[in-house]
Formats: sequence, structure tokens, C-alpha cells
Amino acid sequence: MKVEIYDPPMCCSSGLCGPNIDPLLVRVNEAILNLKKQGVEVQRFNLAQQPKAFMDNPDVKDLLAREGKEILPITMVNGEVFKTSGYPSYEELCRALGIEPKKSIPIFRV
Amino acid sequence: MSDVKTKFIASSINRSTTSPAYLFFSGKGGVGKTTMACATAIGHALQGRRTLIVSTDPASNLSDVFEQDIGHRVVQVRGVDKLFAMEIDPDEATREYKERIIAPFREVMPEDVIASIDEQLSGPCTTEMAAFDRFIDFMETDDYDIIVFDTAPTGHTIRLLELPVDWSRHIEEASKGTGQTCLGPVETIQGSKERYDRATTLLKDPEKTRFIFVMRPDELSLYEALRASKELESIGISKGEIIINGILPEEVCEVEFFRKKYTAQQKVIKKAEDIFIDIPKRYMLLRDSEVKGIDALKSMAEELFDGERPAYNTVALSSSSQAINVKRPDIDSLWLPRRETRAIFFTGKGGVGKTTISCTTALYTAQKGQKTLLVTTDPAAHIGEVLIREIGTEPVKVRENLFAVMVDQEEAFKEYKERILKEARGRYSEDMLRAMEEELNSPCTEEMAAFDRFIQFIVSREYDVIVFDTAPTGHTLRLLSLPFDYARQVEMMVSGADAARPEEDRENPFREIINILKDPERTTFSVVLYPESTPIEESYRAMVDLKEAGIETQLVVANMLIPEEVCVNNFFRNRRTMQLRYLQEIEERFGLPVLSFPLMEDEIRGMEMLEMAVRYLRNT
Repeated sequence: MKVEIYDPPMCCSSGLCGPNIDPLLVRVNEAILNLKKQGVEVQRFNLAQQPKAFMDNPDVKDLLAREGKEILPITMVNGEVFKTSGYPSYEELCRALGIEPKKSIPIFRV
Repeated sequence: MSDVKTKFIASSINRSTTSPAYLFFSGKGGVGKTTMACATAIGHALQGRRTLIVSTDPASNLSDVFEQDIGHRVVQVRGVDKLFAMEIDPDEATREYKERIIAPFREVMPEDVIASIDEQLSGPCTTEMAAFDRFIDFMETDDYDIIVFDTAPTGHTIRLLELPVDWSRHIEEASKGTGQTCLGPVETIQGSKERYDRATTLLKDPEKTRFIFVMRPDELSLYEALRASKELESIGISKGEIIINGILPEEVCEVEFFRKKYTAQQKVIKKAEDIFIDIPKRYMLLRDSEVKGIDALKSMAEELFDGERPAYNTVALSSSSQAINVKRPDIDSLWLPRRETRAIFFTGKGGVGKTTISCTTALYTAQKGQKTLLVTTDPAAHIGEVLIREIGTEPVKVRENLFAVMVDQEEAFKEYKERILKEARGRYSEDMLRAMEEELNSPCTEEMAAFDRFIQFIVSREYDVIVFDTAPTGHTLRLLSLPFDYARQVEMMVSGADAARPEEDRENPFREIINILKDPERTTFSVVLYPESTPIEESYRAMVDLKEAGIETQLVVANMLIPEEVCVNNFFRNRRTMQLRYLQEIEERFGLPVLSFPLMEDEIRGMEMLEMAVRYLRNT
């Protein structure tokens, strides 16, 4: 089971490089932490920091070349494009992977 | 002064010893660091060694000293066979570095993707990385026998030198962690780690590398040299050498005013000798005119290498008037608040007296009934030295209406991190907090934190006037350009994130501060310099840089003008004539009001002396 997230350019992946905490990016991070605990391999790539990874994945490269950066973030599940232009929720990812979501996600909803 | 020569200890500058391959000159701007570095380079070249002098100073002035265009590539210095020079332009280095990363994408990716990679690489991290990268390039070539680095002013120098240490640590941590780092992806820099480690090893090898501190014989300069040597020691670089520059020749100091300065200088020299017992020292006399051009530098090299005494004129070079030749500016309209808090920034090379001018200005506005805060952002803070009291990271009351505070980058970083984590605690899981903490341990956050502190004072509206004693020029410019960079970064993050974010999150917290900095009624940028060629050149560039960032400089403070009444001999008359010539040049070149400030009989320390300085401002 594998999830790859191709992020738009950001200073860091947790949303902390700005002056305030970005709740959306924190939510994404929390989902990733949970999936990892459930044995899912999760990789994240940032366009600003790992542009090479975007070039190395043919699907991502084509989407990006065709649609521009508005297509980001791109989420891939088991090698297939799953969602573009926005992050999937934890539950969506679990459904796609065919695993049971953990009951309570220890996160404060903003 | 003749005994001074006998005190020479064989050093790397001397022809009698084998010199290490890399010589780093450090010291606050204005101490003659560039001149000493250039003279040393010329000296080695004349002795047949293939020599390169590289400037890593953002406000470099090798071109001024050699009187020849140098720029961002290695050029042969005219008139000296084996001498080559280059000025590393940080902007150009950044552009080259960025292009190396972006080039493979140009053909495949659309414009907006390229633009956003480019934009992202415009942060302060990239600039540091790029400059340091060039710097290592030179340490890895075999093309020269000796490479002289005319490094940036001390605070900056130290940060630069600390980078390889921090970076390799950062890279190690990052490769264990999320794989994200401000310095680029681990996989792209993993290959560079070896280079950084090699550079660090070279920097710490006393056989290969020598650090030379240039200082003036005054207390602040000595303190600075001591601080710098301690900081280097703490990162594993052993002590180097010291050049004490600008020593008054005893025989020209016949009047009390200069006699006092001579005695004070000798006291500092004695102190320096006691402190730096085992470190080779050189003593250079003040000259009656500036050191510019190859011939002057050759004569300087002779003094450096052989202890040859410089000749100075005993006849007046000019018989022109010695009266001040510029109009007095209306300082109240520039320094006092209109409706809202007035922020006053003093920018300029270290050593030009920014700190004393800032302290004097702050006391001046405080005495005019304005609640004033004096802020130092200089990593090597001197305000405490001038006020003779400890200045902490919280404002302390110094006297009626006058408060002072220091923005310590490391402190600010800790506070900032703590604030973010506190906000997050209880809201997020332990795992999440650990991930956050890791992300926060980045050099980017450090920069952000210092600036964050800085803004808070301005927007708090607790003070009528805030005086900023900013760090030396290059650093200042970087700091001041931060709000613009960060504003761009924040905007980008917002557009990259989910459209469903609440509206208030989209507010760019830096917008307000940018507007304040650009508003001449709320912010006054003043350049401090002393009336000599190099400081004028540097300040002019600084002014143009600020203008490009949308900020208009409003005042030039020309400090350390030798008072007419003490110029009883031609040595000082020649120096004052030179200063007056430059005063006029400043007025014409900058097109700004010029406030001239006299050289004081004693170094300004303590309230009583500050009050004397304020009285001078009042009377003008």
C-alpha cells in the first residue's frame, strides 16, 4: 500500500514556515502520520524542494506540463492518480486503500 | 611608536614564514579590513606567489581600493603581475545557483511551474547557500598559492563560517526525519554534505587557514575582536592574528584633544596585548590621507610586511577654507512622530558610529517628551556598551521616556518556536508536535523569528519613537528585504492551499509592516557614514538598494568630522580638508540633507556623555 503526495511549492511540509499554523496542512500531516502507523508507505514531494521527483514520475510530469501548477497537489494511491488540485481527506484515502479508518483522529477540528 | 616595531611576532603576513593558503580577514567594517587584505594580497603577489583576493562582502569595495572594475568574476589586477581579484556578488551567485537547479525544467514545464520554483528559491536560505557554495569553490581549486578572503563584517562572517557546521548537522537530522529541509531536498544536497565537511575541515586546519582580525585601537573594536575570536574558538577554529590599524602617530598629537585620543588608544593597545598574549599582532599607523590605488597599497604592504613607517605630509595639501560646507538639516521633522509611531532606522557599515548616533537620537527624542524605544538588531550588540548597562530581550527603562531592548536572533528563535508549539499543544497529537518541532529547527525559521520580534515593536504602538540600531550594511539589507520575500512566500502558501480556508487566514501579516516601512511620515531611513571614500561608496549602494525595495532614504549622518579648532598641525588639517571635500561630495551625490556630527573628545560611554552629544544636536 502506497500513497504519494506531490505538494505545491511550500517552505516546509507541515505548514509551519508561515507566521501561523496552517490548519489544512496540519490536517494533511496528521492523516499521513495515521496512515504510516497503519503500515501504509507514504511519500511527500515538494515542488520547490524536490522538483526532480516531479520530473521522474511520468503521470505527474504530464499533468503538470499540461495543466500548470494549479493541478497541485496531486495524490497517487498505489501508483494511480487519485486526486488533483486538492488534498484528499484521511477517510477518502482509507477507502481508496481499502483499510478501516482509525476511530478517533486525535486532532482539533478548525 | 618605535618600540612598536620590535614587538612584531612572526606571522603569516611576514615573508619569513610559510604562509597558509587561505587568509580570512575579519573585523567590523570601517576598521580598514579591505585595505589590509588588499595590501596583504599585493605583498604576497610581489613576492612571486600567485595570489587571489576574493570578497564575500555583500557591500564589497575591492573595485574602489584597486581603482579598477572587478565584479563577479576573476580578473587580473592591473599593475601587479601575480594578483587576481573577484567580488562575489550575492545576487549573481544566487541567480547562478538557482539556474543550476531550474535549467532541467525549462524545456518541459509550463511558465507558472518554473516561476513558482524560481520564486520559492528566492528565500534567504538560497542566498546564503549560494554565497557559501561559491566560497567553497575557491577553497577547492589549486590555481593559487594564496587566497585572501576579504570577508563580510564580523557578525556576518561568523554566521557564514558557522554554516558548514550547522548545515551538515541539519542535513544529518533531516535525512533521519521527514526528508524536508529549507535547504532543498536531502537527496540533492546529500552530495554537497561532503563538500561542506571538507570546507569545515579546511577552515579548522591552522596549517591551511589563518584568521586575521583587523581592529582599531578603541574599546568597541577590541570588544568586537575578542567576541569574534571567542565565537570562532567555540566552533573549533583556533585564534588567528590581529592587526591594530589606525594608530595615531605620537608626534602629531600635540594638542590635548588628540593627546587624549593617543593615550586612550595606547591603553587599548596595552589591553589588547594582555588579552591576546599568544597571538601575533601588527601595528599600523593612521595616515593623513586615504589608501587607494596600487602605489598606496604597495607602501601599505611594506609597512605590513617589514614594519616600514609611512610618510605623511608636513605641509598643508590645500589652503582652502576649513569651515563646514553643507546646510544643517531640520532633524525634528525627520525624527519626531506625526500622528503614529515613528520608526527611525540607522543603516551603515559597522564602525561608523551607528550605535552612538542611534543612542544620541533616542535620547534626543526622549528629551523632547517622546516615549522612545531603542532597538538593536546587531548580533554583536554595542548598545549595552554605550549605555553602560545590561540590555536584555525585554525593553528596560533607561531613563525618563527612554527604553532599550536587544533582538537576539537565537533568543528570538527559541521564543518563536515556543510560541508556535504552545499554540499547537493540546490541539495536536504528540507525533504531530514532534514533526512540527523538527520543521521548526530550520535556518529559515531563525530568520523569520528575528524579523517577527522586530515587527512586534513597531505594530505594538506602545512607543512614540522607535530607533533601530541596525546591523552592518549587508546584513541590514538582507533583514530589510525579508518582509518582501516573506510576503511573497506567505501569499504563495495561501494560493497553494485549500480554497476552503477561512478568510482571516489569508491576511498577509507582513502587508502592514511593508506599508509602514515605505511611508516617509512614519519611517525614517538614515545612512550613517564617515566622510571617506569607501564608506560613501558603500552607503550610496545601500541607498540605491533600499530605493529598489521601495524605500527612500531621508538623511545622511556624516560622523566623526574632526573639529576645526583642534587641527593645529598639517596632519590633521589634511585629514579635515579631505573630510570636508567628502562632505560636499555626499551632499551632491546623495541629494539628501547631511547632518554632520563631530568627532568627540572621548568615546561616548554613559549618560553624561550622551547628553553632551544631544546638546550638540540641539545647538544645530
